[in-house]
Order: sequence, then C-alpha cells, then structure tokens
Amino acid sequence: MTRSRHRSRAERIYGALLVVYPAAFRAAHGEEMARLAGELDADRLRRGESAARFWLRLLADLAGTAISARAAAARAAAHRYSDPSAHLDYAGDGDVMDTLLQDIRYAVRTLRARPAVTFVAVLTLALGIGANTAIYSVVNAVLFRPLPYPAADRLAMIFTSTTSSKQGPVDYPTFLDWRDRSRSLEGLAIARPISVNLTGTDAPDRLVGNFVSASFFPLFGAHAALGRLFTDAETTVAGAQPVAVLSYEVWKTRFGGERSVLGRTIVLNAKPMTVIGVAEAKFQAPFGSAEVYLPVPLYNRSGLERGNGSMFAFGRLKPGVTVDAARIEMRALAKQSEQEYPKTNAGVGADLMPLHEQLVGQIKPALVTLLAAVGVVLVIACFNVANLQLARAAARRTEMSVRAALGASRRRLVRQLLTESVMISVVGGALGLVIATLSMKILTAAIPSNVQLFAPLAIDGRVLTFAFVITVATGLLFGLAPAVQSSRTNLHDVLRVRGARGGSLFGRVALRDVFVVAQIALSMVLLVSAGLLARSLISLQHVRPGFDPENVLTMEFRLPPAKYSTPQQISDFMQHALAEMRRVPGVTSVSMVRAVPFSGNFGATPYEVEGRPALRPADAPSTQVNAAADGYFTTMRIPLVAGRDFDSRDARDGTPVVIVNQTLAGKEWPTSSPLGGRVRAVGDSVWRTVVGVVGDVKHGSVADTPEPQIYTAYAQDVSTFSTVAARVSHDALTFGPALRAAIWSVDRDQPVWKIRTIEFLMERNLGQSRFTVKLVAAFAVLALVLAGVGIYGVMSYAVSQRTQEVGIRMALGARGIEVVRMIVGRGIMLALVAVALGVVTALAATRVLSAQLFGVSHSDPLTFGTVAVILASVAAIAAYVPARRAARVDPMVALRHE
Amino acid sequence: MQSSNGALTPAVFHILLALADGERHGYAIAQETERVSDGGVRLGPGTLYGSIQRLLRDGLIEESTRVRRAADDERRRYYKLTAAGRRVLEHETARMSALVTAARAKRVLRRANPA
Repeated sequence: MTRSRHRSRAERIYGALLVVYPAAFRAAHGEEMARLAGELDADRLRRGESAARFWLRLLADLAGTAISARAAAARAAAHRYSDPSAHLDYAGDGDVMDTLLQDIRYAVRTLRARPAVTFVAVLTLALGIGANTAIYSVVNAVLFRPLPYPAADRLAMIFTSTTSSKQGPVDYPTFLDWRDRSRSLEGLAIARPISVNLTGTDAPDRLVGNFVSASFFPLFGAHAALGRLFTDAETTVAGAQPVAVLSYEVWKTRFGGERSVLGRTIVLNAKPMTVIGVAEAKFQAPFGSAEVYLPVPLYNRSGLERGNGSMFAFGRLKPGVTVDAARIEMRALAKQSEQEYPKTNAGVGADLMPLHEQLVGQIKPALVTLLAAVGVVLVIACFNVANLQLARAAARRTEMSVRAALGASRRRLVRQLLTESVMISVVGGALGLVIATLSMKILTAAIPSNVQLFAPLAIDGRVLTFAFVITVATGLLFGLAPAVQSSRTNLHDVLRVRGARGGSLFGRVALRDVFVVAQIALSMVLLVSAGLLARSLISLQHVRPGFDPENVLTMEFRLPPAKYSTPQQISDFMQHALAEMRRVPGVTSVSMVRAVPFSGNFGATPYEVEGRPALRPADAPSTQVNAAADGYFTTMRIPLVAGRDFDSRDARDGTPVVIVNQTLAGKEWPTSSPLGGRVRAVGDSVWRTVVGVVGDVKHGSVADTPEPQIYTAYAQDVSTFSTVAARVSHDALTFGPALRAAIWSVDRDQPVWKIRTIEFLMERNLGQSRFTVKLVAAFAVLALVLAGVGIYGVMSYAVSQRTQEVGIRMALGARGIEVVRMIVGRGIMLALVAVALGVVTALAATRVLSAQLFGVSHSDPLTFGTVAVILASVAAIAAYVPARRAARVDPMVALRHE
Repeated sequence: MQSSNGALTPAVFHILLALADGERHGYAIAQETERVSDGGVRLGPGTLYGSIQRLLRDGLIEESTRVRRAADDERRRYYKLTAAGRRVLEHETARMSALVTAARAKRVLRRANPA
C-alpha cells in the first residue's frame, strides 16, 4: 500500500535530504517527515507562496535539527562504546554522516587556523560563483524560462518567404487560407501592431495599437480583467464592429481604472470606437504589449488585400506535430496559393519558426558568449584556490603522514581534504549568491532593449540549483588535485626528512606552475575577447552612416485616415506644417521623410527597371523605399552625387520621379548614367524617372551592408505616417516642444511622438554590442586580477619556502638585485609560456566570436599584442613584490628560518 | 526537554497543546499549531519530529495503537498524550498563566482584558 501511494516531488527531494539525520532517527521518522514535507509544500502551493523561501526555511529547519539529532545520537553512542578509537579514523565503513561531521569539524578548525588564506579563497570563489550565478539568471530568464503562454513550446510564427526575404509579413487573405487549410496548426491568429491616434481627450496622443483577430487572445492565454475580449464574428471582414479592448495599464493610467470605461466611446484614428473590455494585467504580448487592441478588419482597407502583406501570423502546433512537419505543410499550402493566385503569390513561399526562437534568437549568441566568459572566470578562480590548497597541503605533509602512520586510509585523507575544499566553496557560494542578488539591478539595466523580459530577473529554483551545483563542482574541482597529491604521502620520505618542501623557485616544474600557466592563458582568452569586442564596438561607433547625425531632431506622427482621406489633404498638411516649423528660431533646415534611419521603421519592396525582362515578384531584387520631401538630403547632409534634389516641380501632378542611392545606381546602370532611367515597385502602375543619385545611408544598423535605396517624392507618394527631421543649431532635444507646437498650430488634434535625436537612435542601436562588451570586459578584468593574485600567491609561497636558500645565497655574496632578478625572471618566464599557450587557445576561441565582431579580425595582432604585454607586466609586478621581500631578508634570520 | 529557565521549548509546548484534545498525526499537529498561533508558528518536519522523538523518549507522548486510516486510505502514525504529558502541559499552562497574571498586575498590557 505504501509503495502504491503517489509521492510528490517535494516529498521525494526531502526524502533524499534525510540522509543528514542519524540512521536510527531516519528509520523511526523518515517516512512521516518526507510525507509532511510534501503536505506542507502542497499547502504552500495553495497559498501561492514562493518555493525558494519555503525550501530555505525547510533546509534551515533540517540543518538545525539534524545537528542536535546527531549530537544526541553521539552522546548515546558514547555511553554505549567505551573504546575511544571508535571515534577516530575508521575507514569508510562507519556511518557516512558521522565521518562527514567529523571531517567538517576538523575542516572548520583547520580553516580557522589560517584566516587570511581562507578569506582569499572564499572571496575568489564568491566572485566566480557570484558572477556565474548572475549571468545564469539572465540566461535563465531569457533562454530557459518558458514564455508566459499556454503550451508555449508549441507556439510558432508563420512568415511568407521570397528570395529577398526569408521572414516576410503575411497578408490577410493568405492568412485566412492558412487558417482554414492547415492541419498541423491550431488557433491561428494574426496581428498588425501599429500606432493609432487618440483624440477627444485633453491632449491628442498616440497609443500603441494592435489590430488582431479574435483568436489572438486565446492563443496567448489572455483573459479580460473587465468586460470581454473580441468575438470571432467581430473580427471578420463582414462582421467587423468598431470595438476596442484596452490594455490594463492604459485603463489604469488614462481612464482612471474606472469600470465605467466599458461602453464608453473613444476616438481612435478619428473614428469612434466602443470600449468593450480590458485585458488582464499580467498579459504580455510577444514583441511588446499594445495599449489598445482593435479588430483586424478595421486596419486600413488596402492592408487587407492579397499580396499586400504587413501582418504577423501566429499559431500553435497541434500536439505531436513537429516543427519540420508544420513547415512542410506550410510550404505546401504556399504552393497551393501560388497556383490559385499567380499574380500576387507567385514565388511566395511560407516558413515557420518557433516563437521562442524568434524572440531570443538575436540575443542568444551574446548570452552564450557571456556564459562562456564567466565560466572561464570560474575556472581561473578554481585554479587559484587549488593553488592555495596545494600550498597548504604541502605545509601539512607532516600532519598527513602522521595520520597515515596512525592508520588513516588514503581514501579517508582525500575525503578529509575534499571536505575542506567543499566547505570553502560552500561559504564562497553563499557569498556568491549575495553578490549575484546585489548585481540583479545593474544587470537588468544593462540588458539591451531588443530583449523582451517577461518577468524580472530573479534567483529562482533553477538559478539556485545552478549555483549549488557549480559550488559543489568547484569545491571538488579545485580540491581534487591538491587532495590527491598531498595524500600521496610516502612515509619514508616525509617522516625521515622532516620539512622537505615542495617549493619550485628555481627548478622543477610543479603542479602549481601548471595551474598558474593555465590561469594566465585563460585570462588571455578573456582579455583578447574583450579587446576584440571593444574594438568592434569602436569601429561600429565610427562607421559613417552616410549622413551627419549631429544636432538632428526627429519626431513621428500619423494622420488619421478618416480626417485626411485624400492625398491632397495630406500633402497640404505637410506643406503647412513644414512652413510653420521652418519659422521656429534655431531651426537650420527641416524636412519630412517616411522612415528616418535607425528608427526601426522601414519599407522594402521588390522593384523593376524599365526595359528589362519582367520578373516574378518573388524573384525581383529588393530595395528599401522611402518617401522624402524636398530639403531632406540637405537637412540630413546626405551627399547629392548626380542630378538634382526634389523641388517644386515634383508636385502631385508633376512627372513621377525618384532619387536612388549609389548602390542601386551602380547595380542597375553600372556603365551608364541612371538619370532619365525609370523604375517602379513591382505591382505599381507608374514608372518613376530617376532624377538624382545620393550617397548610401545606413538605415537599420551601422553594420548593414549597402543596399539599394529608392526615395520617392513626398507629394507623389503620400502616406499618413511621417517623420520630421530637423537640423538645429544646438541641443537638438530642446527644440521638441517648439516644433511640436508648430505642428499643433496646423492641427490642434494631431498627436506627435517619439521626439528623439538621431544620435540617440544610433546609440540605442548599439545597445546589444555595448551589453556584451561591458560584461565581457568586466569578466576579463576580474580574470586578470585573479590571475595576478594567483601569480603573486605562487611566487610568494615559493619565496617563503626558500627563504633559507635565499639566505645562503645572500650570505655567499649574492646581491639583492640578483635575487629579485631571479624571482621576477621566473615569474615572467611562466607568463611567457602562458601567453604562448593563450595565443593558441584565444585564436581558436575567438573564431567562434567572429560572427559578433565588426571591422576587426578575430586574430587582430594589435589586440593580441597589447594583451600579451599587459599579462607579462602583471606577472612581473606580481612576482616583484615577493622578490623584494626576499631580497631584503637578513641572511642570519633566513638561515635560522625553518 | 526543558530549557534552562524551566520553560518548555515552543515546539514542545505546541505539540502537547495540539494533542490535548485528541490524537493527531504529524501533519495535523503542524496544522493545528499554525491555526492556534494564527500562523505565527510553523513547525518544519525536522523541528516537529525532533521534538516528537524527545517527547517519546521522555514518555510524554506515545504512539496510538488504534489503527486509523487517513483520507487517502493510508496508515499514518498518530500520537497521543500520556498521563505524564498531560501533567506537564497542565503545569506549563499554569506557569504561563501565573506569568500573565503577574504581568497584568504590572499593567504590561495597555488595556485590561475585558474577561
């Protein structure tokens, strides 16, 4: 009956921990205790309390009571046995816990006898473990923690794919086909995040909007906090209703959190909408939450047409369906659409990507780099502590021999020494957890903005487990070599020649030297990586973006289509607004463009050149397209290479014109002048004449390779969304209010947002590189310090062990400077061997890094050289300090030194 | 069993108190204690069974011999007070009550208890 009962996880874990109690106690109460732990855990779950706190309390309870139970058992045993030797070294067959307790007591005594060494060891490990735990908490939050959605591991994004773009947006009719036909996906949803204008309130404002299908909410497990969410009927084209769902935050901040918001009419994009519900507070949409949700059919009419893709599609794999199977099905469905709608869908395939991968794919290499870097720091720390232990073990050889002579088995001695190591690492680990906890805030601030954190960084169960495992592992790792070495005692050797010592100042290579060499070599890998990443950040910062970013202010607005329904109205608004803004004092020049560089906004389209063979839309080359008003190139200081800028000739009724960049000109007209040639977007009815050529501009990121770019004339290609670019005399940001007021003087209801400088946008773009560089550099410095301490430790130990020898040499006439030279020479020699090894290792390691480098080779000689010099200098300094001490030694004192 | 000033440890007192009105198993003792103390005292498995072990040794409680079945049809160990245990509980309660009376006389409590 007992066997058949289901035992909860908590019960099983606790059951395993019971080993700390004496055997008799365990036999009497173990089962009931484990069961109680399981029941308390169930209570905790019902109350919704934190697991970490529960287990901490449980462990404290366990530790405290185990000690007293052990003490009681020991007292009882002492009465039973009169033979005192029963408590000494009995080899292994006694109760495991009794031996362990004995070892621990002994270890505490030994460690307390050398507080300085113990302190250095603990601190070293605390830094190593703390840094690892902190980085792991980021990795855990970003890569391992499941997304906060039901069956999140089966969520996927679906894209269109063409030759020029693997992950293209989806159009609404194609989405409907997929939804109706797919057998491997369920709950398909579509979303079009885009800003909307909120008017009719105190000040016009922009809200982050999302036009979604009703299925969007259930797919991501969202419920209504108030009212209801959309019904399927409301989000079909035929049954679309002007209804809106607010985000919880917007409801609280803008609508005062009042229940009366239900049924209220708000004006969005100049259309009245009825608020029917509020999404619950904890709901976070992938890629950032919207402030207001609207039915997808309300998105503008042309955005719903086949071939005009601008939306994101999501779905959940049915249970048991693999990603590959779903991918194959989506491709087959795309083929079917190609046949049914050759005009729009020819060459358009489909692809599918697990949502989690899509969300974290970008940051993953950086995190893996960081985890590797911080892991190396821990290994260095281990070598350091191992060396301290080695030094100590050497000093304790006599002690070990005596214990061995009295009958302690070698296994018992190794275990004793390992217990000491693990105790150091446990204390270090505890301190490391404190360090990790303290660094949470700094780390959170450092995480680049393109990473969506669904929950704050935290030391949760998984991170705790990680910290615990690396703590114990490091204890064993750095403890094993010294333990084995020092337990390999040879009774003859040691007892006969008391005081024979394992220094290595002038002669044979010892394990210690190997460890120091390994430390320096590993530090080299880290320093080189940090150096390369820093250099690539610097090159990124020095990339010429193709324009002059200084003193340029940008701001965005979107005209409500209901109010500005004709191109003429839009164009008039632009002209008036530009005229008003030009009057603002301090504004040198001002213009408008659809998408300003580094804003994250962009447009891309396949294009064709007149007179060339026609291509299917999916095979046509792709170009970035942007609409620019006259004066844009002057304002941005983008050089005009040939032809002319837009001017008053390029009005709505003028000849349709474009300006292309040098890359496009060189690609399409390699030998002739592009001026007078005609291009158009595939599917467009008008050919547009090239009237000018301008320089290439980095649009998405400074690392972009040059791409074809086309600028249409603003008046001939109007759209409701626009960005103002204004070059001002100084302090660009201070011009925000004045420029916004200029726009309000044209339309009091027009919200203007994202008032930012281009310099800010470019800085933000470097966020992820900066994140990696900062942390890797911090770890590299930590590694350097640890390696320095390591060299210092080994050299000063060697010197102290050879005081007598130094004394003899000095007595025989050696001068202080010669002693210094000898010792420092030894340190530098070790460093050089290490640097040679480090170069080889670093070359291999940085090859992995090359994908994250920009403008610098992974084997950059300057970086390698600088790092080698730094390491050699640190080694020299670390050796110099003990060398000086040795040289100052009074020969008489040294000779008496034992 | 008793700390140096003669008082029972809180865990021991709570266990005796929980068993005063009938036999209980470990989890029930923990629940009862939490209820009586308004959530102030939560007995962990180690504290609970460490105390039970000592109470058994000192003969203040004993394991119930009656076979009882819990809700999940599982045999569990039930404990009950022995005569000695009950005397110790009475004695301790009287001692605490005397202390409370003394404290009240010195107006330690701001408001006198209406009872």
